[in-house]
Amino acid sequence: MPDSQPTTATVRIQRFNPDNDKKPYMQDFTVPLTADTTILDALHTIKAELDGSLTFSRSCRHAICGSCAMNVNGRNLLVCKTPLTRVLDGKGRVAIKPLSYLPIIKDLVVDRTSFWAQYERVKPWLIPPDNMPEKEFRISPEEVEAIHNAETCIMCGACYSSCQVIAMTKEYIGPHALLKAFLRVLDPRDAAPGERLADLSGEDGPYRCHTIFNCIDACPKNLNPTQAIETLRKLAQKRLAVEEARVERQKTLALPVSKT
Amino acid sequence: MSKPEPLTHDVIVVGAGLAGSWAAMIASQQGVKDVAVLSKVHPLRSHSGAAQGGIAAALGNTRPVPSTGAEGPLEQVPEGAEPSDSLESHIFDTIKGSDWLGDQDAIEIMINDAPRVIYEYEHMGCVFSRTPDGRVNQRRFGGHSAPRACFAADWTGHVLLHTVHEQALRHGVKFYSEWYCMDLIVEGNICRGVVAMNILTGEIHTIRAKAVMFGTGGYGRAFKITSNAHANTGDGVAIAYNAGVPLMDMEFVQFHPTGLYKHGILMSEACRGEGGYLLNSKGERFMERYAKSKMELAPRDLVSRSEQQEINEGRGGEADHDAIYLDLRHLGREKILQRLPQVRELAIDFVGTDPIDQLVPIQPTAHYSMGGIPCDVNGQVIADAQGTPVVGFYAAGECACISVHGANRLGTNSLLEASVFGRRSGFALAEFIKGGAKLYPIAGDPAERNRQRIRSRMDNPGKESIDKIADELKTTMTINCGVFRTGEKLQIAMQDIKRLEERFAHAPIRDKSSRFNTDVLGALETEHLLDFSEVIVAGAIARTECRGAHWRTDHPARDDQNWLKHTLAHPQGEGEGPQLDYKPVNINYEKYPPQERKY
Repeated sequence: MPDSQPTTATVRIQRFNPDNDKKPYMQDFTVPLTADTTILDALHTIKAELDGSLTFSRSCRHAICGSCAMNVNGRNLLVCKTPLTRVLDGKGRVAIKPLSYLPIIKDLVVDRTSFWAQYERVKPWLIPPDNMPEKEFRISPEEVEAIHNAETCIMCGACYSSCQVIAMTKEYIGPHALLKAFLRVLDPRDAAPGERLADLSGEDGPYRCHTIFNCIDACPKNLNPTQAIETLRKLAQKRLAVEEARVERQKTLALPVSKT
Repeated sequence: MSKPEPLTHDVIVVGAGLAGSWAAMIASQQGVKDVAVLSKVHPLRSHSGAAQGGIAAALGNTRPVPSTGAEGPLEQVPEGAEPSDSLESHIFDTIKGSDWLGDQDAIEIMINDAPRVIYEYEHMGCVFSRTPDGRVNQRRFGGHSAPRACFAADWTGHVLLHTVHEQALRHGVKFYSEWYCMDLIVEGNICRGVVAMNILTGEIHTIRAKAVMFGTGGYGRAFKITSNAHANTGDGVAIAYNAGVPLMDMEFVQFHPTGLYKHGILMSEACRGEGGYLLNSKGERFMERYAKSKMELAPRDLVSRSEQQEINEGRGGEADHDAIYLDLRHLGREKILQRLPQVRELAIDFVGTDPIDQLVPIQPTAHYSMGGIPCDVNGQVIADAQGTPVVGFYAAGECACISVHGANRLGTNSLLEASVFGRRSGFALAEFIKGGAKLYPIAGDPAERNRQRIRSRMDNPGKESIDKIADELKTTMTINCGVFRTGEKLQIAMQDIKRLEERFAHAPIRDKSSRFNTDVLGALETEHLLDFSEVIVAGAIARTECRGAHWRTDHPARDDQNWLKHTLAHPQGEGEGPQLDYKPVNINYEKYPPQERKY
């Protein structure tokens, strides 16, 4: 860290306990600053030493559990993996708020009920074929390549709460659940891609996306929900062909993949 | 506060990681109608998802390219070729890894079940990495003599967790998300339910159940440098102990060799499985001195000790001379991006080095709890060395001790254990319920007792800080109960724990509100840390030998004559330490007699 860096930072946090407070308000805390202090470290310091009632969610502290997505200086990110120095302004300040467009439970904790309801709505589970092979289904590395990014989604909600459509309506399925639907539709083992595409064809599905790309900017895992949504749109237009191709593919699903 | 009606379920599973989710899914699939899972974090935030490198099964899908030697590059085994791996080999590696403290009957069961479990994961939609002909790909891992780690890049636990959670939803399991279990109700050796807090409202409920299953995870958060999530405070272990259940082999705590320097965050063993080196500050591959044949792929206990010895002898790096370096540079950009994308990002984000062209500073980090709640191979919890069951109480995964890992777990055997024994517990729960299990009456009002417990801590006029107490506990555990232990250091740890317990009596909860009160959770979690840390240290003081992860430099040898046995720590009265009892290890002396453990 250059010598000119201050050794403390001012962390402005939006506080709100609906049981006691009429509306959210900002509160400033001063915390010590070192080069490797993360935003989450700062929140822990505040809770341990300055205000035990400060409330936030976290668990793994290395960007895999998805608990700690918050709005920092207007951008959604995971506070566990973000150094405090990277988000301070010229005066050594940062503003932290809960994720937008979701009801606040307390301080930085939001109610993700609609988020999870949409996740369940797309039937996130695989619907396997009737006949199971004795060993694994054979899938090529290329087929895995097409879907494995989608499977690395940690369901943190950063995309969901940056989406302008979600801002208007919670009826929209949302980028996280559409990414999961994309994964299932493309998985050669799934026996119901046609049914899934039909379920998605209503006005709350991929057609509702305004292609503003906020979800891509917000994703802490560098995923691309917009592209998945566009793929779903295209596939929905040739649903029967998708179904037929899947039936055909599943005939050889127990056989070694051959390069042809 | 009004008294809510008691909730009732056939089965209550506490913990929604792999063990708990498997158990709930299978029980539900087997026809138990009313299965509920209670989790203090959303199920998909469970710590199983943080596992990176792989899950072991002797599928024999890959082998070293012929004529390149045992360390050569891997290829898929051609159809119809000689098998490259065997169950027998996996069993022996696990027994040897456990330093002969693992129960061999349980190990055989786990490893024989392993291929089935992998295929079930695959059939449920798990997105494994593949060989060119479409089989599940397998990589090398420490202490395993064949490439048997099935993987999904370096986020294996994440994809397994999502897969099982999805299928549990599909089978109609009910989830209580963000509910915190704070008490287990056991009377007369019969489990009758739990007490849990709805974190959102702060309301505390008694939940009656015909059976309770714990899949509550490990206790790595008792240490300052740890790979474990903040949530891994060993709640289930402490709750069971406080309900009168003994704990087994708690002194065995695994330190993983590659935690990110100062942070403890895991850099998967897959880094070394894919060919990474460990270097000291002089740039030497020092493992040559400690495990000539296995080198960096020796088991974790041995590698962590070797690192610590290098550091203690002045060959550590960074400003404080207490770092070792992980060198992945020779693997090349493409392999790192394809096989180790997550750990690369972690190194960049947390220590500011890109493994593609830089060394990554690392150090040993508390990682895995070999000890836990004693139970049999179907998850049935036992109350004593004779195997008396605690009726209606089951456990699996890291909180349980069956014991398959003995004194030291091999990498990739933990996802396997959680899956195999979670699954087996699910079948056992279904059988138990269908066999006519019933709800037993509960004496008194356990929920009210727990409300009182919180109220009195909120009203506590003391000036002590719970966070400071937890922090001091973790520091003493890391310094005095870490990679190298002595009787003297362990006594210091014990005195520290006693002193911290006294201070804890004067530590108030500061947040007085009821809604989503994480200050209350922190208090309960710290109480749990103190409770089981005392058991860890008591077991470690008594065990005057070196075995696996428990290394006493003042008793520098394994002592099979006196210590080839499991520790069973029974709770005594309030304020008293555990009463230590011992249980024989299941050993097949003809097949797998104890040997010297060399790599």
